Amino acid sequence: MRIYTESQIIKNNLIRCPICEATNIDTGGKVVCRRCNERIHDYKSISFHKTVAFLITAMILYIPANLYPILLTKKFGVVHENTILGGIMHLWEAGSYPIALIILFASVFVPILKFIFIIYLLISTKYNLKSSKVDRHKLFYITEVIGSWSMVDVFVVAILSVLIHFSLIEIIPGRGATAFALMVFFTILSAQSFDIRLIKDGY
Amino acid sequence: MKDSKLDDFIICKKCHTLHRKIKLHHGTKALCQQCNTLLYRYHQNFIDRLLALSLVEFIALAISFTFTIIKININGIYRGLDFSSIFYTIFHNQYYIVGVILLFLIFIFPTVILLSLILALILMKFNSSKYLVKRLLILIAKLSHWSMIDIFLLSILVAMVKLFNYAQLDFDVAFIALILVILIDIFTLKRVSFYDIWEEYENIYRKSDNKK
Repeated sequence: MRIYTESQIIKNNLIRCPICEATNIDTGGKVVCRRCNERIHDYKSISFHKTVAFLITAMILYIPANLYPILLTKKFGVVHENTILGGIMHLWEAGSYPIALIILFASVFVPILKFIFIIYLLISTKYNLKSSKVDRHKLFYITEVIGSWSMVDVFVVAILSVLIHFSLIEIIPGRGATAFALMVFFTILSAQSFDIRLIKDGY
Repeated sequence: MKDSKLDDFIICKKCHTLHRKIKLHHGTKALCQQCNTLLYRYHQNFIDRLLALSLVEFIALAISFTFTIIKININGIYRGLDFSSIFYTIFHNQYYIVGVILLFLIFIFPTVILLSLILALILMKFNSSKYLVKRLLILIAKLSHWSMIDIFLLSILVAMVKLFNYAQLDFDVAFIALILVILIDIFTLKRVSFYDIWEEYENIYRKSDNKK
């Protein structure tokens, strides 16, 4: 059994296990949790590069997600294509302001905010910017929490494609839906692979 | 001073401020002094209450997966929405990636999380299979970011508002069950932190290890 003095505990960097939330001593490098025995973090450089790689993938996918139609409406044999922004504008013009705002927030703002937050966290750790560590931890927490809300649009498309499936009118998902779902998947992976020790110690 | 000395400390999940733990009285909770996030709480009959809620949630989840969520009526033609029809339609339209992502996010992960929690709580109640309980709790923690049943409910509401002007919408039993699932989820999340479950796990198996 490892033995620590009180001053060692306070002096040492303590980190929280994201799995079991136990307090652990950060020995630097790879850290394994004393309670659940799970790996808390990889080496910092690996985490950093993983986060960058997932973030770039997500940002690339964000382009086709917005350019390709997320929803196709077949009306009397004629196909209308709707992109995310097109759908929001259509809802706004139809007077469905709350829904237009929800979709605008979930599908446009949330992914962009996530990109900005993760880029800021990466830059601030790489160049040791003098911003508050508590604020950066809060920013990371918000990034983790809001991440999944972007899936609203993909779910709505799936629901509409089931409900509007008649001989004369039909809604089917577009290619943009695949790109969008993958984009959300990679942004969540990017946030999860970020090593919170980078906020404390820098890169 | 032993390794367990670290148990006297707790780090806030939101702002990562370090706190020294204090003993709580019944009905009280410890909040982060920096951001007011719940750190831990004093629970009585913790396992029993959480198990009862989880069982109710599982029954509600099973109902929501089995029955129709909403029905729409456009000029006398009815169509119903249920989970199987969502996956069938997506796969039928050959959107396999979206289909697989949806299958995991709204069906497999919520079910696995809930079943794992129920099994872990039952085993903890009977003080057995320490290793299995640990593995189940780790599985829950790893999957919790990927369960999106709450976002799915919001999406149903958004879709309903979109269709409101064109069709007559009727709620069905699965919709009520889905709301119950989310309400229990919110209630348990508000009342119980994952830290409390792990603490209970340590207390239960520490006592049994000491007896041996």
